[in-house]
Amino acid sequence: MSNDMGAVMVVGGGISGVQTALDLAESGFKVYVVENKPSIGGVMSQLDKTFPTNDCSMCILSPKLVELARHPLIDLMTLSEVTEVSGEAPNFKVKVRHNPRYVDMDKCVGCGICADKCPVKVPNEYDEGLMERKAIYVPFAQAVPLKYTIDEARCLKLTKDRCGLCEKNCPAGAINYDDKPVEETVDVGAIILAPGFDAFDARLKREYGYGDYQNVLTSVEFERFLSATGPYGGHILRPSDQEAPKKVAFLQCVGSRDSNTNEYCSSVCCMYGIKQAIIAGEHTAGLEPSIFFMDIRAVGKEFEDYRARAENEYGIRMLRGTRVASIDEDPDTKNLYLRYAVDGEVFEEEFDMVILSVGLEPPKGANELSQVFNVDLNRFGFAGTDVYSPLSSSKPGVFVTGAFASPKDIPTSVAEASGAAAKAGAFIAEKRGAVEELDIEEIDVEGQEPRIGVFVCDCGINIRGTVDCPAVTDYSKNLSNVVHAEEMKYACSADAQQRIREVINDENLNRVVVASCTPRTHEALFQSTLKEAGLNPYLFEMANIRDQCSWIHQNEPERATKKSMDLVRMAVAKSRLLEPLTESKLPVTRSGVVIGGGISGMTAALDMAAQGFEVDLLEKTGELGGNAIKIFHEEDGRKVRDFANELVSRVSNTSNITVHLNTPVEDISGFVGNFKVKIRDEEIETGSIIVAVGAKEYVPKEYFYGDDKRVVTQLELENKMQQGPLDAKTIAMIQCVGSRNTEAPYCSRVCCSNAIKNAISIKKENPQAQVFVFHKDIRTYGFREDLYKEAGRLGVDFVRIPEDQPPELSKEGESLKMTARDTILGEDLVIRPDMVVLSTGIRPNEDNEELAKMLKVPLSKDKFFLEAHMKLRPVEFATNGVYLAGLAHWPKFVDESIAQASGAASRAITVISKPELKSEGIIAAVNEDLCDGCGICEPVCEYKAITITENPKNPEKKKAMVNEGLCKGCGGCVAACPSAAMEQRGFKNEQIIAAIDAALEESE
Amino acid sequence: MAKKVSIAQYWGAGCGGCDVALLDIDERILGVAEMADIAFWPIAVDTKLKDVEAMPDKSITITLYNGAIRNSENEHVAKLLRQKSQIMVSFGSCACYGGIPGLANVTNKKAIMDYVYNKTFSSINPDETLPQVKYQAPEGELELPVLYDTVLTLDDVVDVDYYMPGCPPAVSLINEFLDIVEKHVKEGADLPPKGSFIASQKTLCDECGREKSYEPIDRIYLPHEIDIDPEKCMLDQGVICLGPATRAGCGAQCLNANQPCRGCMGPTAAVEDHGGSMLSALASIFRTADNETHLSEDDILKMMSEIKDPLGTFYAFTMPKSIIKRKVTERKAEVSE
Amino acid sequence: MKMTSTQHETQAATAATGEQFEPKIIAFCCNWCSYAGADLAGVSRLQMPTNFLVLRAMCSARVDPEHVLRAFSKGADGVMVLGCHPADCHYIGGNYRTRRRIALLKMLLEQYGLDPERLKLEWVSASEGVKFQNTVTDFVEMIREMGPNPLIEAEKQHKAERAKYGH
Repeated sequence: MSNDMGAVMVVGGGISGVQTALDLAESGFKVYVVENKPSIGGVMSQLDKTFPTNDCSMCILSPKLVELARHPLIDLMTLSEVTEVSGEAPNFKVKVRHNPRYVDMDKCVGCGICADKCPVKVPNEYDEGLMERKAIYVPFAQAVPLKYTIDEARCLKLTKDRCGLCEKNCPAGAINYDDKPVEETVDVGAIILAPGFDAFDARLKREYGYGDYQNVLTSVEFERFLSATGPYGGHILRPSDQEAPKKVAFLQCVGSRDSNTNEYCSSVCCMYGIKQAIIAGEHTAGLEPSIFFMDIRAVGKEFEDYRARAENEYGIRMLRGTRVASIDEDPDTKNLYLRYAVDGEVFEEEFDMVILSVGLEPPKGANELSQVFNVDLNRFGFAGTDVYSPLSSSKPGVFVTGAFASPKDIPTSVAEASGAAAKAGAFIAEKRGAVEELDIEEIDVEGQEPRIGVFVCDCGINIRGTVDCPAVTDYSKNLSNVVHAEEMKYACSADAQQRIREVINDENLNRVVVASCTPRTHEALFQSTLKEAGLNPYLFEMANIRDQCSWIHQNEPERATKKSMDLVRMAVAKSRLLEPLTESKLPVTRSGVVIGGGISGMTAALDMAAQGFEVDLLEKTGELGGNAIKIFHEEDGRKVRDFANELVSRVSNTSNITVHLNTPVEDISGFVGNFKVKIRDEEIETGSIIVAVGAKEYVPKEYFYGDDKRVVTQLELENKMQQGPLDAKTIAMIQCVGSRNTEAPYCSRVCCSNAIKNAISIKKENPQAQVFVFHKDIRTYGFREDLYKEAGRLGVDFVRIPEDQPPELSKEGESLKMTARDTILGEDLVIRPDMVVLSTGIRPNEDNEELAKMLKVPLSKDKFFLEAHMKLRPVEFATNGVYLAGLAHWPKFVDESIAQASGAASRAITVISKPELKSEGIIAAVNEDLCDGCGICEPVCEYKAITITENPKNPEKKKAMVNEGLCKGCGGCVAACPSAAMEQRGFKNEQIIAAIDAALEESE
Repeated sequence: MAKKVSIAQYWGAGCGGCDVALLDIDERILGVAEMADIAFWPIAVDTKLKDVEAMPDKSITITLYNGAIRNSENEHVAKLLRQKSQIMVSFGSCACYGGIPGLANVTNKKAIMDYVYNKTFSSINPDETLPQVKYQAPEGELELPVLYDTVLTLDDVVDVDYYMPGCPPAVSLINEFLDIVEKHVKEGADLPPKGSFIASQKTLCDECGREKSYEPIDRIYLPHEIDIDPEKCMLDQGVICLGPATRAGCGAQCLNANQPCRGCMGPTAAVEDHGGSMLSALASIFRTADNETHLSEDDILKMMSEIKDPLGTFYAFTMPKSIIKRKVTERKAEVSE
Repeated sequence: MKMTSTQHETQAATAATGEQFEPKIIAFCCNWCSYAGADLAGVSRLQMPTNFLVLRAMCSARVDPEHVLRAFSKGADGVMVLGCHPADCHYIGGNYRTRRRIALLKMLLEQYGLDPERLKLEWVSASEGVKFQNTVTDFVEMIREMGPNPLIEAEKQHKAERAKYGH
């Protein structure tokens, strides 16, 4: 890579930092990732499952961590911190201190012998101190980088100059007790802060007895309980007696919505509480979870469904509007007595275990960060941002993402992380570079008899301690086509790579088999060694004789040795049939199309344009601005419509954005990098498409709306208030009109806050006015909790109504009469309002279906656009090159739409910034002689990579075609193909069958 | 060189349809008679086995062997004809894949004998007497063929030169083969490479003109349960059709009669297991449910149980040529019997 | 517990030869979840029987029913197909295809007379090293109880029949 490539520094290696770094690197920028811990991964790596899909957290995170560590444009600096920043964007100078690891990263192969020998046991931070690690350790099994670290505070050698066992036992000579901090200064054009959050210290809520009562745990600890790698291997047991609990209480808002601790709402605890209750129930038969909460804030995509399922399907007891006052422990049984009030009556109830759903706080070092980077914090100590620039800190060129700016869930963090990358990239767009390719001529092996080299790794004693490696090596020599077999101490070491290259050249090897550890971490390394030696990297096969043999059969050396031979025989059998694979290159149209000209669409267009790309912005109506033009209320001291108008003029003044008004999309063809979007008489060629078509307000059919002028929507109320003081004295606001009902079961997310904002305005203008808000839950999540509190102070009456019993409105003569069930008082409330305001929900556009078909992307069951993965791919579709932002995805606030739009722009830039796209090597391929276009494969492909087309040789016949740019290489279509016409490169049928046959061949 | 050739046709374990099929070529049979002498054709010509035994080796030009190998006689004749013939053709699905008689591999000899001689309604056999291979009758020793436990295909027992699948082979294929033979005999043209299939090398979708939607399916219908749209792909309509996995060459006769393909032509050359490949294809196109994540494997089993008889559906003609070949008995099951 | 005579026989055979039946098991693991779970079992040094050999596929949906049939015909006593949990699939819905094929394949195996329990579909995530260990251990024990793949015995009998009548 060139030295003048634009660079960005990312501070923090959690999911936000990882995503933003990957986006930048994929857009052609150099990235420095600074993480103060020994491994990246952040809090997400500690989680068991994630809501609302109950995905395995590690399963989806770990591939991203590995990808980051391998990326040639990313410089990962663990155990490091920024000490000083000088200069201004795009010319920052950042001083980084690398703290000593005491282990040489180049030499350590992560074998773990040191930790085996280390005599010092320390509670493991990763497991919240519930399990132990050694003083030399990796934080968790999937840590990246997988290099050991010495805990300098606990190591006997470093603290007392005793022991030294790790140094004596390290076969790689990687231990360095004299390691010292090293300072380094790097030049970057922009900085992204992603330090994450810290959990609230539950000890501060003394009334809950955390720290004193053994069976009171925090939700973070409980997450480790749920995890298969946690202290009880995924079993839920009480710490006091290791018995399975029956009654478990989940206490929400511990360290949130609490004037004694944190006033804001932590946004995520309701959902993770429900998730933990569901998963705990699944893990332990007969477990009875109860959740004590004030309001359930299930505002995200499919969250409301999840909540409903928790109650109805999983039978989780939900105690709404109930805050537990105190907990007492029975000193004998260690059971817990919870005191709480329902409808004014005080109860005491016994539980076996209590989980405190702790809130999210600013990260511990937030103040230092604010000083070093010269950025402001808000009054809660989170990074200060503005609604209209949610990713920008107070310092130009320094951006924030993730929970550092406010408590938020993973998908929002990931969308923002991409968004921050788009913002940062704009500072250095003209210094975009690319990974330089290795220029080595490939040896042509076609038609050659296989000449296989087998390298058997001892992995120090990790393999050789159990497996007879010399015997395995000898055995390999006798397998047919094996021309060379050799044992190696560490096959992954630098000198071993050199040796493998030599053998390839000396013995004219055309296939290489390494019997060592797992291909998941090491295949790429060996493949690049093959590449350097001039062999196609796909002529490589691994036999996993460590992780899946020596380590799991430690007491059966003979059988482990035989099994290693079996594994090598299988790898050799497959390798005989391996073929060189090439990653084909596809050209890219380096421009973007944005569909929808609201705030999201305009933001996305501006972000792409800011990095120098041409953008066509298509709007089906006659004006830009979308829903925002209709929003009169203020956010952060400025009207939303004023901001929207500013965006309109910025878009019009940006020369590389072409606006097409009154322009619906007529047809879309092509694929990633090469779409054709048909509009009127024109066809626009583009590399990527962003869907930002928005959504619309629900038009009520209920409550005399349209028939009686006194019944209005919130937007109409805002409009009225612009024109002068309201004359109404009694105002009833009804929440969830057109949301959370049978027709639209989801929560529209924004209506609570908007209603309260308007209620506050009414009260401020006329304190005598009576304002009632009829609601099921008040969902003012995050810092919006401030609004709820303020409204309460101003005397707005909040009336909680039952889930299934909306207020009734009738007419008595000319006057309106409203009857509602007040669940808190347990009685009917009757008022005679002179104005009724309906908080109407957000509905998806009716033509979404049509557009979805053209784009070959799915809709959710609520008919919003459905992203590829709700957790980690929130702004993209499974169909490559198509992205998503704003209300088209789900109801959301302006700041969330803006951040998501920037995120979509960033993802699109990762495509259009490249002059050409490379397909994966392992993809599906059609044998045209065998395919008759039966079409079985087409619906099987999740990526729409297969189309049935006219057979070029005979236009009357059909055949399947795989788009190499879209195929991800899962092989699902290959197994489905009934005529063996579809094959997976690298996993062809004959290759798999060769391995099966070899596995079952007698090895004697 | 109008040298006359000699042909033989034999009937192993089969229904006889293949013999009839040869007559379906209508008046061309006269041409055949002109071109060839019939050396051996038990249903048409009175030649005895001992006559064949007396023929010199390779004196028969072509043998068309139809039917599976079910007993020692089938095998004996197959071997004899192989010895006497220059070209051995595996004629029809039974010879090629085992065919319908091959489905006997879902049971075994013992069970068949027991059922046929003891358990049918019409059996009155209090002593449970079963046929013996050798029986001393007053007239001397009588011998019956040995019924095999496992139905075999022709190429399991002899070397086969050409395969002509179909139940029975389509007239067009027979004609195609006759053309080849005629050209070979009259003009000395080359014969196709050994092991060739006298059929299409493509799948039935190549011959079937129905419209496809390429959409997943929601449920299975038996052909009689719905009005099948003759223009649309059977699978799209939820009717199990083995066409995508089955060799073409039959002219899509069943589909033209608005019936789904049942797979008599067997798989194409690249496929090892006809039934397994269609099973996978069919399972793959069942639509993913909206509540998929909440479905248990039992729910899925229920969903797939719409396919009532996978073995009979997917291996109706090819069980003896499948990977597993025959039904087996777990030891536990043996004990309980 | 009442013993089946098979168990008696097995035990008698074991006593006679001093060797217990060692099943041969093929385990197809998807790259992203189950193979990672198997690796984690290794990293965590979770001990389990040696009777299985893992074949890595990118997705469980790559496992063709023909591969499973092939493994049985070549003498595997049991076959495991391990993939990502529903909703976890790295390739979105690959495992949904897998579960349909395996369900149908189990029905087929039963018709072939093989105990469908010899084929096991299980979801093992990247963090479920223990589940991998338990799944393998339980499966090996179950197959050990069940005894050898009957196809092997049937093949022997078939060969004997062929030897008797085949020429």
